[in-house]
Amino acid sequence: MNKKSILRQAAAYPHIVWAILFIIAPLIFVAYYAFTDKEGNFTFSNIASLAEASYLEVFLRSVCFAFLATVICLVIAYPVAYFISRTSPKAQRILIMLITLPQWLNFLIRTYSWMALLEDNGIINSFLGLIGIEPIHMINTPFAVILGMVYNFLPYMIIPLHSVMSKIDPRLYEAAADLGCNPIKTMFKVVFPLSRSGIISGITMVFVPSISTFYISQKLGGGNFDLIGDTIERQFQTAYNYNLGAAMSFVLMILIIISMAIMNKYSDEDGGVIV
Amino acid sequence: MKKGIASKIYTGLVFAFLYLPILVLVLFSFNSSDSTAVFEEFSLKWYKELFTDGATLNALKNTLVLAILSSVISTVIGTAAAYGISKMQNKHLKNATMSVTQIPMINPEIVTGISMMLLFVFVGTLVNSSSSLGFGTVLIAHITFNLPYVILLVLPKFKEMDKHLPEAARDLGCTPLQSFFKVELPQIMPGIVAGFIMAFTLSLDDFVISYFTTGSGFETLPIRIYSMTKKRVTPDMYALSTLIFVTILVLLLLSNLVSDDKNKKEKSKKSSKLTKILLGSSFGLIGIITIIVLCVSAGTKTLTLNVYNWGEYISDGGEGSYNVNKEFEEYYEKLHYDKTGEEVDVVVNYTTYASNEDLYAKLKSGAGGYDVIIPSDYMLEKLKKEELIQPLGKVNDIKEVIPNIKHLNSQFSEMFVYPNSDGELELYGAMYTYGVIGIVYNKNMLLPEDLEKIENGELGWELFYEKEYLEKYKGQILQFNNSRDAAGTAMYYLGYDVNTATKEQWEEAFKLLQEQKPYVQSYVMDEIYNKMEGAQAAIAAYYAGDCLAMIENSVDENGETFLGFFYPTKGSGEDKIYETNIFADAMCIPTGSENKELALEYINFMLSEDAAVANAEYIYYSSPYDHVKDNFDYKIYTGLYEYIYKTDENGELILDENDEPIHVLDKDGNKLYEATEDGGDYAVIYYSEFENSLKEMFAKYAYKDLDTAENAKISTSQLNTYWEGLKIDSASFGNDVYIICAVILGAIIVFFVYSFIKKRRQRRFYWNNTAEPKKAPANNAPDADAMSETMTIAILKAQGREKEQNVESKKSPTKKAISKTLPITRTNKALKVTLPKDYFKRK
Repeated sequence: MNKKSILRQAAAYPHIVWAILFIIAPLIFVAYYAFTDKEGNFTFSNIASLAEASYLEVFLRSVCFAFLATVICLVIAYPVAYFISRTSPKAQRILIMLITLPQWLNFLIRTYSWMALLEDNGIINSFLGLIGIEPIHMINTPFAVILGMVYNFLPYMIIPLHSVMSKIDPRLYEAAADLGCNPIKTMFKVVFPLSRSGIISGITMVFVPSISTFYISQKLGGGNFDLIGDTIERQFQTAYNYNLGAAMSFVLMILIIISMAIMNKYSDEDGGVIV
Repeated sequence: MKKGIASKIYTGLVFAFLYLPILVLVLFSFNSSDSTAVFEEFSLKWYKELFTDGATLNALKNTLVLAILSSVISTVIGTAAAYGISKMQNKHLKNATMSVTQIPMINPEIVTGISMMLLFVFVGTLVNSSSSLGFGTVLIAHITFNLPYVILLVLPKFKEMDKHLPEAARDLGCTPLQSFFKVELPQIMPGIVAGFIMAFTLSLDDFVISYFTTGSGFETLPIRIYSMTKKRVTPDMYALSTLIFVTILVLLLLSNLVSDDKNKKEKSKKSSKLTKILLGSSFGLIGIITIIVLCVSAGTKTLTLNVYNWGEYISDGGEGSYNVNKEFEEYYEKLHYDKTGEEVDVVVNYTTYASNEDLYAKLKSGAGGYDVIIPSDYMLEKLKKEELIQPLGKVNDIKEVIPNIKHLNSQFSEMFVYPNSDGELELYGAMYTYGVIGIVYNKNMLLPEDLEKIENGELGWELFYEKEYLEKYKGQILQFNNSRDAAGTAMYYLGYDVNTATKEQWEEAFKLLQEQKPYVQSYVMDEIYNKMEGAQAAIAAYYAGDCLAMIENSVDENGETFLGFFYPTKGSGEDKIYETNIFADAMCIPTGSENKELALEYINFMLSEDAAVANAEYIYYSSPYDHVKDNFDYKIYTGLYEYIYKTDENGELILDENDEPIHVLDKDGNKLYEATEDGGDYAVIYYSEFENSLKEMFAKYAYKDLDTAENAKISTSQLNTYWEGLKIDSASFGNDVYIICAVILGAIIVFFVYSFIKKRRQRRFYWNNTAEPKKAPANNAPDADAMSETMTIAILKAQGREKEQNVESKKSPTKKAISKTLPITRTNKALKVTLPKDYFKRK
């Protein structure tokens, strides 16, 4: 029996070897580059240089942008997910399909087409011009970047929320109604606590890509304010400063782990999200 | 009822938001012009163009091959791994495996990407390979990030499976293999299919990880789109997206309809049949593509030439122009056949970069494997010093290797020639073009008084750096997005020599850039095309040839261009000083090239009259080759027709009574060609001004590399540090975002504190009245591991406990009680993974 089970678990060995080679080893390299200089000597200077006010601001800005994008996604997605979950199974299937459909097109090109919409003489402003409203400057502003984030990651919020809500026993709604809850109260008192795990995974799935994006800020922000992703990307693709780039990635990774840990702590009662 | 309508409208709005950009995309794919902002009239032009755009189709093929290979491999490894993990007895090993598996899901993509890149670069230097990055590395990266999804989708299936089934099968006489294929496999199939599709779509859509791990010539569709969005996205990409979108839409609708029909007829067989269809079609697809790939690769010998060039720096066949790469492929195939009688398939793998620094970073990262690159003069010197490029040949016999180089204007014969260790002279780069840096401006957006100043030559870099002009054109100025050129323009304004400036002078330049920053609309490289042609910015500094291309592209309905270009100068005649730098780009062969002979052949082809003229006409840079400048078509195209004079049979100019040369005239005595208001005029000045003194110009105005130049006082990395300081500084950035963030955060904290206090009170009250339902069923769970524990709880609760607890919750419907009663919250533990399975299964 024992021999057999060892034999059986051997099926996982290729994956374990793969994971060591291509998941663990690369992360060791990130740490290695983060703590060495160009000649390969051990140093703290890369990490220390991130403590400069301007880098701190880059981090703060990224966190703020990602935070706002996440909150907005949650606020927009919650009623949508709730509404979808209350429709018939067939309608649910089609609506969810429609939510995921845009994701099949590459996000780069979808973001690019937002540029055409938001430009000073873009489609939205020309439309506003037609109905006699002064053009609004939107592109290259924090607003545009956050909009890009919300747009790209909104489905990541709707889907987990919906998949939790669709599993809520409809009898609970009846029970709540019987006990005198109006629909809004039901939403807050019944649905909200029950969908907590969906909220948590939605938040993670929006926050993590938002904080590390570089494409959206490049295109919709015009490269005028760096986010963490931009700074990292520049170190690797243009400035050729791997050590600083690795240090930033290292810190970003730590940042994410910490925020995941906090999230986990909050969701402990409900069984926790993935980590 | 009223509420129903409100929520419908709301959901409709959200859908409108999601589909708005797609609508734009679809609409503009039918636009007759190449503008992605103004719709002219309906046309199918871009759909036709798409099927002649070899690079895009090639990228599409790469993407599909990559997605299929990576998803198949990760499905196989992942399914085996899920089986192994489900059989693991050692809990620690199991937990460790699971945690490591999830790392790529949690880590931001950019971190996964760069971590793998660092590994590959390290391994590359270890085995001293010049081309460590490429298809292989992207494939490994894709498998790595696909694996966790496959495992987490398949694993639950193994857990759900009744343990006794395989035993029963064995009892009934199955061999273990038979029992696996006949009993176990069908049970886990939905998980495998979901995993496969998930992996496939993830791989198809991935940009960030491929971006960091790809090397020479391997371009996936997202990477191609990325490099396109830097310059301008040709609407054929929109056309392709539209096609993809429609295909997916139809497929999804069909599968929905199919499953609906089945639903009515035979509910139980539905999933297995659908599974079979999906599986069958996906394996069919894999088969077909593999066969195609094999056929293509096995049929004839394939020679691949990896060319890495600036964006829009070659005549690419767009809009009926000469397709240099395609012509070369045909030319060489014929040449090879004539020489050897052997058929060969030549593929030019053409990829682009946006700046010399990007090229350098790519070569340094070990993404070698390039055969031809086109760096600028200073970068060539740096690459030569670091031995990243190899000599094209000895100067004495270069004409045998690259016959067409004989057309190079004699002024340039000494450029890019370096002695080797034996003192022999070697040529490192075949000159491609030369140009200057100048200012491109929008005539409609600049104030008349400033336009006049420009025309009188009274305005130079002041336009870019003086407060007066900055205030006037705030938010309409574009600056270079690279340290070297941006700082360079500041240095010219300050009047310092870029090659000998002191550290303090450079710091002064960066201080100037810092002051300029709040007025700058954005820092751009190739993006400048869109911005200037779309009249989104008034002034920008850029390279001459590109500026001329923009001017050519921005002609209004009257045939007039709204853009203008000049380069700042001071003085006139003998004392004229150019406040800019002159640069030359040259074709080089990197050290790691595996196909030097073919590369030389390509360079020679680029210098042949047809190709060289086509390139010069397409890219608008000045050509250093006599046969281009003397080409009749080219003269007309650029406006150099002014130089088409009457000559006698000896080639001597025939002069009129004022000793002026006589233009070639038609029989009515009119000039043959009329001047047009496009780049042509400029080209005339360009050539006439630089033509005879280029050698001196280069000596005087070349902007050397800071690391290799003798007199440079700072290094490139120092320059980059300054630049880094400029880029991350956010003087122009208001505090609004922070304030909003703080307010929301405050509100959330207040809410949590409030609900916490409220909960505490309720709990105390609740505690006194009833005992809380505990997580008792965990002990009764037949399987001790976490996943099935939650499953069991769910099942148990769903069956029996639910009733009793519902009663409980009716008694005291507090938040706490309800959240404790419901099993669902726990079963959704692995929600992040279960969600794709959910929506794929549905279809």
